[in-house]
Amino acid sequence: MSKGKILVIDDEDIVRLSCSRSLVPEGYELKMAKNGPEGLKMLEEETFDLVLTDLKMPNMDGIEVLGTIKEKWPKTDVVIVTGYQTVETAVKAIKLGAFDYIEKPFTPDSLIATVANVFRIRNG
Amino acid sequence: MLVNKSFYSLTGKLILTIGTLMIAGSMLFWLFLFKHQEKELLATSVKYGYSFVDYIRNSTRYGMLTVQGTLIQQTVEAVGIAEGILNVRIFNSRGEVAYSSDKKHVGTLLDKNSPLCLRCHTASGPTKDTPSWKITKGDKYRILNIVQPIYNEPSCYNASCHAHPRGQRVLGLVEADLSLELLDHGIKQQGIAITVYVLAFSIVISGVLCIIIWNFVSTPLSILAHGMRKVAAGDLDFKVNINRRDEIGELANTFNAMSDDLRKAKNERIEWSNTLEKKVEEKTEAIHRAQQQLIHSEKLASLGRMAAGVAHEINSPLTGIVTFGHLLRKKFPEGTEDREDIEVIIDQANRCSTIIKGLLGFARATTADKAQTNINDVLNSTLNIVKNKADFFNIQLSANLDPSLSMVKADAPQLQQVFLNMIVNAADACEGKGSITIATSNLNDSGQDYVQIEFKDTGYGIKDEDLEKIFEPFFTTKPVGKGTGLGLAVSHGIILEHGGTITISTIIGEGTSFFIRLPALKETA
Repeated sequence: MSKGKILVIDDEDIVRLSCSRSLVPEGYELKMAKNGPEGLKMLEEETFDLVLTDLKMPNMDGIEVLGTIKEKWPKTDVVIVTGYQTVETAVKAIKLGAFDYIEKPFTPDSLIATVANVFRIRNG
Repeated sequence: MLVNKSFYSLTGKLILTIGTLMIAGSMLFWLFLFKHQEKELLATSVKYGYSFVDYIRNSTRYGMLTVQGTLIQQTVEAVGIAEGILNVRIFNSRGEVAYSSDKKHVGTLLDKNSPLCLRCHTASGPTKDTPSWKITKGDKYRILNIVQPIYNEPSCYNASCHAHPRGQRVLGLVEADLSLELLDHGIKQQGIAITVYVLAFSIVISGVLCIIIWNFVSTPLSILAHGMRKVAAGDLDFKVNINRRDEIGELANTFNAMSDDLRKAKNERIEWSNTLEKKVEEKTEAIHRAQQQLIHSEKLASLGRMAAGVAHEINSPLTGIVTFGHLLRKKFPEGTEDREDIEVIIDQANRCSTIIKGLLGFARATTADKAQTNINDVLNSTLNIVKNKADFFNIQLSANLDPSLSMVKADAPQLQQVFLNMIVNAADACEGKGSITIATSNLNDSGQDYVQIEFKDTGYGIKDEDLEKIFEPFFTTKPVGKGTGLGLAVSHGIILEHGGTITISTIIGEGTSFFIRLPALKETA
């Protein structure tokens, strides 16, 4: 039994790989999507506890993905991953219902801590 | 110079005209006077002539009444000797010379058509029996000829001789030729004297007029002409010195006023052209500066956009390096060489991460969340952060903050980042020892109120060649790994975004001052 189901949406292979190599050993079940539309399609098919989404992506950006998830699947938590953190986008993300945000480049420990924090509160 | 053209000059013409008029006028006057005098003198001579002839008549009366021809002849001869008497003759009624001062003439019969007879008698008509006189020209002088009739009277026709009948009115006539030599001589002398007087008078009057005209007209006119030539040649400072109240004086004053106006106009023109040149220079300089600033800002802005792009692209691979570095590290026990190698990879990845954060800060400097801010408060909180840092233990940090400092509209966290950069740079310049002084003040430059913050260090100073590049991203003089070269670039971007400026004043060997100026709000702190 996994600790939780997580969907990672990021256009960069290395980021998806980093997430899986950090979180899978911790006991989370991870699925990957290369972009926003693909991630939303997977969300239609199965339920996720948490979505880690990149902010800047082609086709659809993280804020849009966040908006759709919060509209359709309010129970799913969202953490924004960004390499381009600004106060404005952070405030916007939190206002739209993001649980937290994490800056790139992150270490495995900081990612694990952020995700653990989400599940502690979900399960809390 | 005026003498050379004397004949054509105003003076020459005036003197010529006045002189001619003077001479002509005096001549006419003296001629009239002279003629009048001559007439008077002649009348006197005639009067004396008649008196003389009367005298002859009376002298010979006794002889005639007593018919003593010899006595009469002797008397006439005696009278005829006197000076100025040329000739004395007594005619009888037949026109025959009865007696004469010159005996040769006695007995001569005058022709009835002789000029003497025609003075009283006409060939056919009536006879005039009045005394008459006539002047004829002699060889050397004029001759006055006087004729006086001898009238019949009772003592004549009653005399015992019965020589003359009672009915005869005129018995004969006495004629005398008198010399006018003295009169002519006197008149001639007078004429000469008058001519000399007139000439002398004319010369004197002309001379006086000449002097007057010279002094009152010619000299001032020549001074004026000289002044005009000077002014025409460009000497506008030249003044005509004629202090008089007449028209010439007025002309001189008008001329001076004119040259004054000309000089003023000329000076104005020169000044205007000078200032114009200066203004054009200033404007050109200002445009050049603005252009440079624009180029600089544009450069920094495009660098910012590029930095953001680069940061975003590099963060993902960096995430991989950091993540896998950490994962690998766990596989090697502490103290092994492999573990140390992994540590190096992780450290360098972290360094990259720091650089990218700096770059993002630089890129982000273009947006700010501004509010009314007290710069002194921001500085105090910044100083609190650095005070406890080890780097500042041996540096004397002092703040001289103006309590009446104006407020500014600013993004406080961004300003704190700028101030932190400034203080850290100052500390780096001091190389761990020396002093950093921070001062704030209100300032007015060209009517605009500013708040000025000065960061002064006692470091080495900044070289000229470094000054040009100091605000460019990635420019650093610090050792590799110590600085990213983004601090000042980010600070510059933030201050520009706040409508402020950063300027540097540096002296090699003594230290550097950074001056930050931000536009002040109207209200005071």
